[in-house]
Amino acid sequence: MWEFDYYRPKTVHELKENLSQPGAVVLAGGTDIIPKMRQRKFTPTILVDTSGIPDLEFIEDQGEQVVIGALTTHQQMAQSELIGDVNPALKAAVESIGCIQTRCQGTLGGNLANASPAADTVPALLIYDASILIQSLEGERTIPLESFVLGPGKTDLRQGEFIHSVSFPRLKERWGAAFIKVGKRTGMAISVVNTAAALILDQEGVISDARIALGAVGSVVIRCRQTENFLSGKIPGKDLFTEAGSLVREEMRPISDIRSTVDYRLHSASVILTRALETAAFEAERRNQ
Amino acid sequence: MKKIEVEFTLNGKITSLSSYPNRTLLDVLREDLGLTGVKDACGGEGECGACTVIINGRPVNSCLIFIGQVDGLQVMTIEGITPEEGYHPIQQAFVEAGAVQCGYCTPGAIMAAKALLDSNPHPTDQQIREGLSGNLCRCTGYTKMLDAVHQVIEEGIND
Repeated sequence: MWEFDYYRPKTVHELKENLSQPGAVVLAGGTDIIPKMRQRKFTPTILVDTSGIPDLEFIEDQGEQVVIGALTTHQQMAQSELIGDVNPALKAAVESIGCIQTRCQGTLGGNLANASPAADTVPALLIYDASILIQSLEGERTIPLESFVLGPGKTDLRQGEFIHSVSFPRLKERWGAAFIKVGKRTGMAISVVNTAAALILDQEGVISDARIALGAVGSVVIRCRQTENFLSGKIPGKDLFTEAGSLVREEMRPISDIRSTVDYRLHSASVILTRALETAAFEAERRNQ
Repeated sequence: MKKIEVEFTLNGKITSLSSYPNRTLLDVLREDLGLTGVKDACGGEGECGACTVIINGRPVNSCLIFIGQVDGLQVMTIEGITPEEGYHPIQQAFVEAGAVQCGYCTPGAIMAAKALLDSNPHPTDQQIREGLSGNLCRCTGYTKMLDAVHQVIEEGIND
């Protein structure tokens, strides 16, 4: 196993101090970086273990928005009634991650900082225009999640910074949201493609706001704004969603890798987006009754 | 690298030890504490579930946790649920259902089943499948594990 200097702060302030040392990186749950350290693919000189900081483990209803602490585990989110009510796409996404063992250990902050193009929490948060609160000894800043992930394994986190929490506003009135992923099997499979979609309908049942995110079809999870604009102002329907599924192919830049091929990714993304839109529309229409 | 002091509750007993921080809970359980019921099958990738232990009521892979991360927590291994004589009811059900062949995945699968039944005493078949989906078996197969868990539920014997 790789060797490192180890710190285990008990408070957020201690965490900031420990992280201010050059080369210091955060250990959240560890489900991703521990195997990488064993294989020497990730070789930090200073590891700051956050497992002793309960203050970063919370799910908070602030009325207009929901805030989730970075050290909240996938299982805590999956079991949260609040998240099920406010963001069913996120609930479905966290339920689909790994297996019970990894969901109980892996954290939201870890999933984001890991910056995998296939990260399952990201599409479900992007369709809610989520923001990330980043802190350091110097202060704090809030940035949109969309500009946080820069590429595979690359984020906007600078030396000394860590993710404090993630927040997203509630969708209002006639809304629906869904998450679907395709993998080799249900348990313990990294997404070949994943998608989250949200629709908001006006009083006449016309789509006033469409939001689509696709993962594992490029170097980062993307919002598909052309397809969103195409849907906006139209009446929900199967044919419309099938057309959206075809159109979205133009917004993707998938690659072939060990998990799948370009053709399979384009096709399956198209299919699951159509289905996610159908589910979102069904939920939005149901909210009217 | 400096050693760290860690204190946690292991199978009901307070345990203090000194270890290098780059060792996993799995390493310490097997190599320092002699608890070899905890297995490593996938080489520390978190893929197989053979090293599953229960920490504060939650099933986790002990190969994906550095020893410092369990400071102050409650860790339960297969040895901790096994009585002085005989077996825990879940162990007994696995034996009776024939869900043990080479036995290598068995401790992890039993700990995953225990965590599931502790939090949900009457899971559906689908919930049992999900609860055991992180535990790979390469010889017995999964049907007999499901039979074993169903037997525990029907007899109401998980304690």
